[in-house]
Amino acid sequence: MLWLCITLPQLPLEALQCEHSEKATVVTVLEGSVRSVVTCNPAAERVGLKPAMNFTTALAILPEVIAMERRLTAEQSALERLATWAYQFSGTVILGDIFSDLQRARTTALWLEIGASLRLFGGFRKLIEHLEAELGKLSYSYQLGIAPTLEGAALLARTGVRVAITTVAALRARIEAVSVSWLNLDPWIPQQLQTVGVRTVGLMVALPRDGVAKRFGPEVCNYLDRLTGAAPDPRPTYRLPPQYHARFEFEAELHNTEALLFPLRRMLREFVGFLRARDTGVQKFTLRFIHRDAVATVITVGLSMPDRSSERFLTLARERLEHTALPSGSVALELSTDEFAMPTGLHIDMLSGATEQSEELGYTIDRIAARLGENQVHGVQAVAEHRPEDSWSHAAPEDKRQHLDFPDRPLWLLPEPKPLQMSGMPSLTGAERIESGWWDGGDIRRDYFIARTQQGAALWIFKDLRDGSWHLHGFWS
Amino acid sequence: MSASGAATVTSSARAEKLEQLARLCRNGREGPPPRVEPSGSVNLDAVLPGGGWQSGTIVELMPMSDGIGELRLLMPALAKITHSERHVAMIAPPYIPFAPALLRHGLRLEHFWIIRAQSAADILWSAEQTLRCKSFGAVLAWPSAIRDREVRRLQLAAEAGNSIGFVYRSPNAARESSPAAVRLRLQADAVGQLNIDIVKCRGARAGMSVGIAPELATASAE
Repeated sequence: MLWLCITLPQLPLEALQCEHSEKATVVTVLEGSVRSVVTCNPAAERVGLKPAMNFTTALAILPEVIAMERRLTAEQSALERLATWAYQFSGTVILGDIFSDLQRARTTALWLEIGASLRLFGGFRKLIEHLEAELGKLSYSYQLGIAPTLEGAALLARTGVRVAITTVAALRARIEAVSVSWLNLDPWIPQQLQTVGVRTVGLMVALPRDGVAKRFGPEVCNYLDRLTGAAPDPRPTYRLPPQYHARFEFEAELHNTEALLFPLRRMLREFVGFLRARDTGVQKFTLRFIHRDAVATVITVGLSMPDRSSERFLTLARERLEHTALPSGSVALELSTDEFAMPTGLHIDMLSGATEQSEELGYTIDRIAARLGENQVHGVQAVAEHRPEDSWSHAAPEDKRQHLDFPDRPLWLLPEPKPLQMSGMPSLTGAERIESGWWDGGDIRRDYFIARTQQGAALWIFKDLRDGSWHLHGFWS
Repeated sequence: MSASGAATVTSSARAEKLEQLARLCRNGREGPPPRVEPSGSVNLDAVLPGGGWQSGTIVELMPMSDGIGELRLLMPALAKITHSERHVAMIAPPYIPFAPALLRHGLRLEHFWIIRAQSAADILWSAEQTLRCKSFGAVLAWPSAIRDREVRRLQLAAEAGNSIGFVYRSPNAARESSPAAVRLRLQADAVGQLNIDIVKCRGARAGMSVGIAPELATASAE
């Protein structure tokens, strides 16, 4: 087993806000009667705010600092979304715990077993490059560590050691000099160790085990054994859910479309990671915008063919969103789908230009339909019917070839025949009697003619033989 | 229409020169060569640049009234396009394009789309999207209003998609200038002959007229 650990030191902040803000922003938590800073964004760090700082101090440094309340459920949703995304790189994904205490708020982690994936991705370097490229697009701050044990990989990630350690012996050698304060332990333990001069992991591991167990509890010994590979570290692996359902809780209500695009973009990228992991695509997915005082707004985004491109998903969703009036601000966004379909383009001969072209056609049609409404984009077909108004219908253009035989017909048809006042009798040509439809109650008896106007236009007109009235029905354009 | 009018004409003429220059510079280095669809009329092909409807251009059609042959004029080219695996779209047509007639004119309906956009902005946006898409060979649009800037946008989209944009406008538009490559005013005489006045034609002399004999309507009338 070779574990890649992704730690997310800024998760408390980034789970609530994924766009980069120029305003100094911190996430805070109330422990007892003291409010403390959990994480700071770069703008806050620049003015000297730090994690674990007393919030009163932070306010003294920067009175206009924006403070958000830490929300564990938002972090849990974000971690789960990341886990489904990570599945594309590894069939074994393990979720770390989210610690509510201040000291470990920045140690949330996620592990991928990559020993089995290395060959698939063409080696170590390619896998990491690919993973980092995708991870970067999700706009999370992260650190990576690679080691044969879970806790070893996490420790390397936290300390920022960007070297792949593949054997237990190399791991032990590598962490020997690391300070005990980096260990994943209750913070009082490293403090006590340091007061008695045990400053490094190497020194701590060398301590007699029964003494450590007596002083700090048996779980500390167990942790050290799991860290160094002396004991197994079984954990439940994350299972890919059969349906996709992701939720993003916002720190504050988001009121405009532009602001909603940030979380939407991240969610769609994570969604595509999930689709890659399942090796499938979707033809439609549902977005639910959750409002505080109103029923959720549901937008279903449909595609003309199965796809898994986050850019195309975003364009379509954006188009729909811009034409949807949300009743109020949104406090959360959900993305779900329960129907999957293999994207066709991926499996048909990739060299065939026709596939690429039809994909582009589908994409263009989808975008237009997303903006104008599904019914506003269609094809037409001829129908074997005598009545002119029934001899055509809307159709999906793709799937038909017609060889119906019709008499001459005008290129323009009016949606409804228009009553005509006939003053004098113009010269009429092209007489054709159309009688039809008595069997289904809609019978017509009409004499059709072509009438030429002074301007040279050719009108398709008919005389209704039942009442003698004249109507305009089309143009020979 | 005095000093300021003259200034507008000069500046738009200059803009056009620049566009032509830019096009010359791009030539051969970028994009596929333009395709030319014969119009079906030898006389018309003789005046059209490239000898027919040329891809990568915008053609403005300004019929004096409905029903004079303003659609029939394009049918030979549209039919050919749908048979060469490319698509044709009509955006905001004023009436229903009648499927039995389209079939008789040889269109493959599986390559034909109707886009019922309402607002001027949606019509132009849809035209731009379809022109830009390489799957469309020709796009016919009936915008309620269109400005020079928007014609230029469609022009760029048509170049990118190597498609032909046919824009139907009111006959009044013939009096204004436009960056479109080809501008044709259409009128018919009392027996239905379609007369095409070349209002503007890049690389050819404007002011000519081409007649196209009536086809279907009178043929069946005889």
